[in-house]
Amino acid sequence: MTSLHLIRIALAAAISACALPAVAETVVRIGMTAADIPRTLGQPDQGFEGNRFTGNTMYEGLTVWDLSAADKPSEIIPGLATGWAVDAADKTRWTFRLRPGVTFHDGSDFDADAVVWNVEKVLKQDAPQFDASQVGVTASRMPTLRAARAIDNMTVELTTSEPDSFLPINLMNLYMASPAHWRKLYDGVAASVADPKERSKRAWDAFARAASGTGPWKMAGFVPRERLELVRNDAYWDPARRPKVDRLVLLPMPEASARTAALLSGQVDWIEAPAPDSISQIKQRGFVIYANEQPHVWPWQFSRIEGSPWNDLKVRKAANLCVDRDAMRDGLLGGLMVATTATFEKGHPWHGHPTFEIRYDPDSARALMTQAGYSKTRRLKVKVQTSASGSGQMLPVPMNEFVQQSLAECFFDVELDVIEWNTLFTNWRKGAKDDAARGATAINVTYSSMDPFFAMVRFLDSRMAPPVSNNWGFINDPEFDKRVAAARHAFDPAERDRALAALHERSVDEAAFLWIAHDVGPRALSPKIRNFVQPKSWFVDFSTMTIAN
Amino acid sequence: MLIYVVKRLVLMLPVVLCVALVCFLLVHIAPGDPLIAVLPPDASAELAEQMKHVYGFDRPLPVQFGLWAWHALQGNLGTSIATGRPVAEEVSRAVGNTVMLAAVAATIGFALGLLFGFLAAYFRDSWIDRVVTTVAIAGVSMPHYWLGMVLVIIFSVVLGWLPAVGAGPGGSTSWAWDWAHMRFLVLPAVTLSVIPMGIVTRTVRALVGDLLTQEFVLALRAKGLAETRVFRHVAKNAAPTATAVMGLQLGYLLGGSILVETVFSWPGTGLLLNSAIFQRDLPLLQGTILVLALFFVVLNLAVDVLQAVIDPRIRRS
Amino acid sequence: MTVAANDIVAVARADKARGYWSLVGRRLARDRVSTACALVIALIALGAVLAPWLGLADPYQGSMIRRLRPIGTAGYPLGTDELGRDMLTRLIYGGRLSLMIGLTPVALAFVIGTTLGVIAGYLGGLVNQAIMRTVDVFYAFPSVLLAIAISGALGAGIVNSLLSLTIVFIPPIVRVAESVTTSVRTLDFVDAARASGAGPLTIMRVHVLGNVLGPIFVYATSLISVCMILASGLSFLGLGTKPPEPEWGLMLNTLRTAIYLNPWVAALPGAMIFVVSIGFNLLSDGLRSAMDVRS
Repeated sequence: MTSLHLIRIALAAAISACALPAVAETVVRIGMTAADIPRTLGQPDQGFEGNRFTGNTMYEGLTVWDLSAADKPSEIIPGLATGWAVDAADKTRWTFRLRPGVTFHDGSDFDADAVVWNVEKVLKQDAPQFDASQVGVTASRMPTLRAARAIDNMTVELTTSEPDSFLPINLMNLYMASPAHWRKLYDGVAASVADPKERSKRAWDAFARAASGTGPWKMAGFVPRERLELVRNDAYWDPARRPKVDRLVLLPMPEASARTAALLSGQVDWIEAPAPDSISQIKQRGFVIYANEQPHVWPWQFSRIEGSPWNDLKVRKAANLCVDRDAMRDGLLGGLMVATTATFEKGHPWHGHPTFEIRYDPDSARALMTQAGYSKTRRLKVKVQTSASGSGQMLPVPMNEFVQQSLAECFFDVELDVIEWNTLFTNWRKGAKDDAARGATAINVTYSSMDPFFAMVRFLDSRMAPPVSNNWGFINDPEFDKRVAAARHAFDPAERDRALAALHERSVDEAAFLWIAHDVGPRALSPKIRNFVQPKSWFVDFSTMTIAN
Repeated sequence: MLIYVVKRLVLMLPVVLCVALVCFLLVHIAPGDPLIAVLPPDASAELAEQMKHVYGFDRPLPVQFGLWAWHALQGNLGTSIATGRPVAEEVSRAVGNTVMLAAVAATIGFALGLLFGFLAAYFRDSWIDRVVTTVAIAGVSMPHYWLGMVLVIIFSVVLGWLPAVGAGPGGSTSWAWDWAHMRFLVLPAVTLSVIPMGIVTRTVRALVGDLLTQEFVLALRAKGLAETRVFRHVAKNAAPTATAVMGLQLGYLLGGSILVETVFSWPGTGLLLNSAIFQRDLPLLQGTILVLALFFVVLNLAVDVLQAVIDPRIRRS
Repeated sequence: MTVAANDIVAVARADKARGYWSLVGRRLARDRVSTACALVIALIALGAVLAPWLGLADPYQGSMIRRLRPIGTAGYPLGTDELGRDMLTRLIYGGRLSLMIGLTPVALAFVIGTTLGVIAGYLGGLVNQAIMRTVDVFYAFPSVLLAIAISGALGAGIVNSLLSLTIVFIPPIVRVAESVTTSVRTLDFVDAARASGAGPLTIMRVHVLGNVLGPIFVYATSLISVCMILASGLSFLGLGTKPPEPEWGLMLNTLRTAIYLNPWVAALPGAMIFVVSIGFNLLSDGLRSAMDVRS
């Protein structure tokens, strides 16, 4: 045979080899607890579930959470910024070095101008891209950020109102949306619309339908209120985090029993927060439950205003010692809870060395109450406000009733004031002195403990009392204020960790809250899904998992 | 006849205005923060005040109503606070989905209702009658949303024949009238049809049963008229009231599907309303209630006119 | 409403004969189905009223270790709920709230609606237009939607539910009342009364009301089951009764996810609503048959 003939045969063989049937696309369908698709324009709503599904998938911030390990606390690592430093002379100025070679989904480059544009979308009211609807979820989480300035293409200077060492942590919440894409959409708005604010609104609306960020997933299909489809971003800058699965389909399923039914009938491969009572059925059918301690705390926040019964340290400690958290976990929540000993558990860099050990010790509790002047006949009346449901509230009414019954053993008469979830939030912001509290001396609102401000500062700093932030009970302790300031001004990471641990220690020793539980973020997955890691975080990395067909 | 219709149309206008007013008031007397969707709980009160101003909630109520009504007349129902999307667009999509569900449920319910009703009336007091009446009464006595959940357990979880939630494998926008999509309609439509089926059965049974004992029927039969012709006379006499009842049930289906839509996550106006209420999304809530109410007003008018057409005695001076 | 109108004419004539109502009573008693229903409902109602004195367990006291015990457990004949509370107690106590929430709005709407409807039907003209158009405004809202919107606006709670449900049921009763009154208004005996010089209020009270109350009452009783289901629906959505009050609709809601662990216990509140609704519906039917002079 001639070499040409051989070549032809080789070619034919090669072509037929390539004509093998293509491997079917791998798809993971997820049922979320949200009632609607969280906003897709960069700053998600619906709390942390929003960040989990439409934030960290399509977008990133200058810093991100390390979601790779299940056995250690999740910490901040470089994201779109490779490094940062505060100006030694003027601690309100930070320099951030940006990651080179990153592009948005629409192809435009990520650079310093993009960072400035994104900061101004929520901080500069006269900027064309300013969007009031995104301010609420961003500004409050980075309260000290004031301005951004591009120094060169890959360097940005950020300015704060006062020295604030928490800034790099706060920045994980500011997601970078593509300015070039937005501008194109802005120019594309019909010329008949003259008002720039209206044009801006429409541009953002169009952006939400055709999102462009830098994340490992790209938007592929969007039906408002019904479904969001994300596909792998092959051009993602970190090859290790390019998704192994081709497509994610996100479906809102707010009703717990419907969500469970969808999983059991095979309509979805993964559901968030299965109803605890359905867990045994789910496991029986071969599905896998993933759960891990989350930076989430389920507490009672005490009122510390004049005349509140909780002003007595003995009473606060007694309450903490009087609840059998293990019984609550095993009996009520089917094991889906971690009993708390504080905001941060042992092993976390911010745990410190508190001397007061929170455990179930009803005898000590009763002894403390007796010292405080209470007894079986002279009982202490307290009232707590909570909600009937709500994201992160776990099972608020049964759990509160459990606490009510537990505390009854230690001379507490607990009255529950169950109100609507949204109203509870509003009351939380208003504070214990407001009429809306209706005489409640405690409030049960769960909180995230991912970053220092969220976890401690907003509750313990006397300046954070309403209307500024969530120090609902008006805690006013100069020592707390001192430790908060120390942490805020400690710019060396190790020093800051020590300062935060000192703050935490004191909060435990002062029994600042009634700590009950940490949520474990349970989710049920099809056994076909492998290599999924659930870190100690509200968020997960969807990039590592694979699904067998 | 024409005068009657015109008069009713004219009288509808103040009704529409009052409906709009009631919608607006209902939504604004609600306690709680209208900006809860865009303001997380950790936002400070100053920020909350600022946002209130940006969204125009600090203006006096009559001004807010006037602005809203004026825009609504032009077809602009405002923008949803939670999603930033125009309300009119969300509502029109949802209305489409609900109408589809309601239409299928109505078809099932009315068809079965008419069938059962006539059967029960013709075979009055026989075992057929008893069975049918029991089924009908069971239908109206059952908390239908709960029936929906039970059906899901049986047909989705245990048997795996039908999907548990949703409006189609690709969402409602990619709807097609093939089995892959229609299987999503089956359980919600059946659940929703149970109450109308029961009510129509009972009404038709009572109506037709009465008519069959009346003298004119005996007379027609004595005259030797074929049973089918008698049937036609009976049907014509039963038509006005039956139509009125079915019209009312159609209204119930359109507006009352919220519970069924919640259980099945069917993306219709009921689910939209549910979200709007719990997110306190005022523009969306106002817009949805207004559209639903207006639909109903027009439907009531249509039913009244239809009744008047069929039975001239109904027209009152 | 032509059939109803024919009823009125027949009833109006029959009423002239003495003992019409005792006739109705006797016919009802002979109807086995209606008697059975009345007995069942009376039993449940009696249980609800006498609940505190029946020696039952505490409906609010639960225990985590006793959650979702099956029917027939020693000491808990109908099992326990998701917080370990005795189901039998909760169901009987639940009857108090559920029956009250089912009956009160209908009763109130019956009184208010009949008054408005009779006035509108009898007086006609402008008064009729004013009342009926106002009713139209509320009729413009499908009942479920209106109940949910009002409850959503006012907030969860029993009183708010009662209020919203009453508002929801007034329009249909006004419509029925107006419709039947309009038919009666033209009858001979009414003309005669007017000719004899009786004032409109007297005529409405003495001649019209007695004749229209029957069918309106039957219609109202058919609304009871709708009211109960609507009330339970409100609790289902979190807009009705608040925990930890025992109420069948709320129990149905909170036991929703327990359907995977213990389906029979989860079904009990639904069964109660079902039984009571059927009872009222059959009773309403029986009443209608008993009042039907012609058969």
